[in-house]
Amino acid sequence: MLRIQNVSKTYPNGTQALKNVSFDIKEGEFMVVIGLSGSGKSTLLRCINRLIDPTEGKILWDDVDVTAAPPAELRQIRRKIGMVFQQFNLVKRSSVMMNVLSGRLGYVNPWTSLIGLWPADEKKRAIEALTRVGIADKAAERADALSGGQQQRVGIARALMQEPKIILADEPVASLDPVLSHSILQYLEQLNKEGITVICSLHFLDLVHRYATRVVALKDGVKVFEGSAQEIDRAKFKEIYGEEAQEVRAASM
Amino acid sequence: MSNETANRRPVGRSGIASALIPGLGQVLLGERYRGVGILLGFLVMLGTVVWYKDPLWYAAPILIWLWNIWDAVSLAGGKARSILLPVVIGLAAAYGIGWQVVGIDFGNADLNRAAAILRPMAHPDFVQPRQEHNAMWVNIQVPCSPEPPLARREDAGKVATVLPDCGPVGETLIVNISGMWPNTETEIVWRTPIGDPKMVGEGEAQMLVATTDGTGSLTTTLRVPTTALVAAPDPTLPQFHRVYFDQYRAIGGIELSYVGNEVLKGALATVSMALLATGLAMIFAIPLSFLAAHNLMSGNPITYAIYVAVRTLFNILRSIESLIIAIVFVVIVGLGPFAGMLALAVHSVAALGKLYSEVIEGIDEGPIEAVRATGANWLQTVRYAVIPQIVPPFTAFTIYRWDINVRSATIIGFVGGGGIGFLLVELLRVNDMRGVSAAFIAIAVVVIVLDYFSAKLRERLV
Repeated sequence: MLRIQNVSKTYPNGTQALKNVSFDIKEGEFMVVIGLSGSGKSTLLRCINRLIDPTEGKILWDDVDVTAAPPAELRQIRRKIGMVFQQFNLVKRSSVMMNVLSGRLGYVNPWTSLIGLWPADEKKRAIEALTRVGIADKAAERADALSGGQQQRVGIARALMQEPKIILADEPVASLDPVLSHSILQYLEQLNKEGITVICSLHFLDLVHRYATRVVALKDGVKVFEGSAQEIDRAKFKEIYGEEAQEVRAASM
Repeated sequence: MSNETANRRPVGRSGIASALIPGLGQVLLGERYRGVGILLGFLVMLGTVVWYKDPLWYAAPILIWLWNIWDAVSLAGGKARSILLPVVIGLAAAYGIGWQVVGIDFGNADLNRAAAILRPMAHPDFVQPRQEHNAMWVNIQVPCSPEPPLARREDAGKVATVLPDCGPVGETLIVNISGMWPNTETEIVWRTPIGDPKMVGEGEAQMLVATTDGTGSLTTTLRVPTTALVAAPDPTLPQFHRVYFDQYRAIGGIELSYVGNEVLKGALATVSMALLATGLAMIFAIPLSFLAAHNLMSGNPITYAIYVAVRTLFNILRSIESLIIAIVFVVIVGLGPFAGMLALAVHSVAALGKLYSEVIEGIDEGPIEAVRATGANWLQTVRYAVIPQIVPPFTAFTIYRWDINVRSATIIGFVGGGGIGFLLVELLRVNDMRGVSAAFIAIAVVVIVLDYFSAKLRERLV
């Protein structure tokens, strides 16, 4: 169980991205975080694996204080938390294979990895991960030769290499068209059914209804809602996104 | 329509206003930029022709002035005139004056001089037919001592004699040689004791050439050249001069000529000079470029000060042409490719440093974040998220710089920086246009080949 306790984050320029946010995430949940751009969703996700250090509050994972972990222990924690990004965050000039293998950096011998040597079983694991997301045939291509949907699948394969217990997905489908959105989220749903906890930020109400087991809403860094997906109706959605917000409907498949 | 009548009234006024001060009428009609533009254009034109003092060109400002009145009157009637006309007038005057200032004068061109240079250039001095050389010489005393030694020499079956054994300047001598190649043209040359060649043919301005008979012998006469003793410390002191006999014959095939060999050596020196300069520059530019990257250095005042200092250094060094730097280094380390190499390296450090730092500034933070999130340590993050992003563009920029440096190295040779540029200047000074032509071709080939391959390589990298 992941407990987020009174977490606040103030950036050096004075922006207060998170204000005293607390909630729990149980193992095996598909937790969706909603809120406007700039409401603190990305900051919250990055506080969980400490790509961003919270200014106040604690994050406990199975009673281990993530926020207080020293560097070596933090790397041990991070390798169990996969992350998928809105902009995919692949090294564009490197091959798909190299991008996927980099997901394994927390496990392999750091010195042999520095000279680019990878054990055969890790390469096999990478091909298996790519096979799971259906693009094993693209392993040798440069990452930027792939389409957006394929690049995000490489991102998922990279996260799979970590044998994660949690996957953080920061608006994984915001850069993709609606049809691809479903295909990517179905991969995450599949992983969730296999027991991986998914924490995902999303924008579209019908995607939230379709995939979330629980929802947390942020507005200006404050948690304004926590509950099941069904409790979020149009009225609630408008309240979170502001009166002027018009919901854009993603095409349902 | 009331607008039109309102505009029609100041027709006379705006015309007079523009006649007094060009553009004033337009300004009064509300076309402020047009009016100011006309005034400035008129003043520049007027200033130029007054300064140049050629009455012919006064037509230009007068025509612009007339157009300006016409435009003001038309504008009052609601219709602006195209500015094409004054622009054409202005350009015509500018080009006309420019023609005179530049001093374009085809009367000075001399096609004969052009032909004298271009004709040898059509036969670049790269290769020559392979030939073998058969040489013989004999000593002769000038002027005579009381007991001159015999002017006869034997060597490898060849015998050369001169009669008499000695003589003053202008004396006619009978030379005889045997044992040479039969039926072959033989060049006969006089050499003074210090090795100066003197021609002994017609009027001492041509080579004396004779052909051996069927047995390889020839006999001919020559005079002791009038200039044989000009370099002698004491013209009355008897000294040994030599008569040389040279035969050449083709043995098939071709070989590099002396100049051709020098050209190739020069081209190689230029390319390696550029290569070493680029390599040396890279070694210094890589660490400096990190200090000149805004995204890495803007964190605190100290690093920012370093950033500003390195950037300023880059900008200063980049603004000094490598040709100028080369002149300084020629003074410091002497003539030759080493000076050129150092000059290119200094200039390239700044040029590469700036390009590298822009690559670092343009780095995508996303992959760094993603690799950190996998639990990678700092070194692994650099290796897997930073290096793949910067190495290909760094390499591409370095190859591009090498390409530029080869071209610069040629020019730097002109000021003593060695390589093919230096050779080209030497060949130009001795008017060896065939050699110059060979050097031109070598430069063109090197530049084209390098340009092609560097473009291909960069294409693959980026």
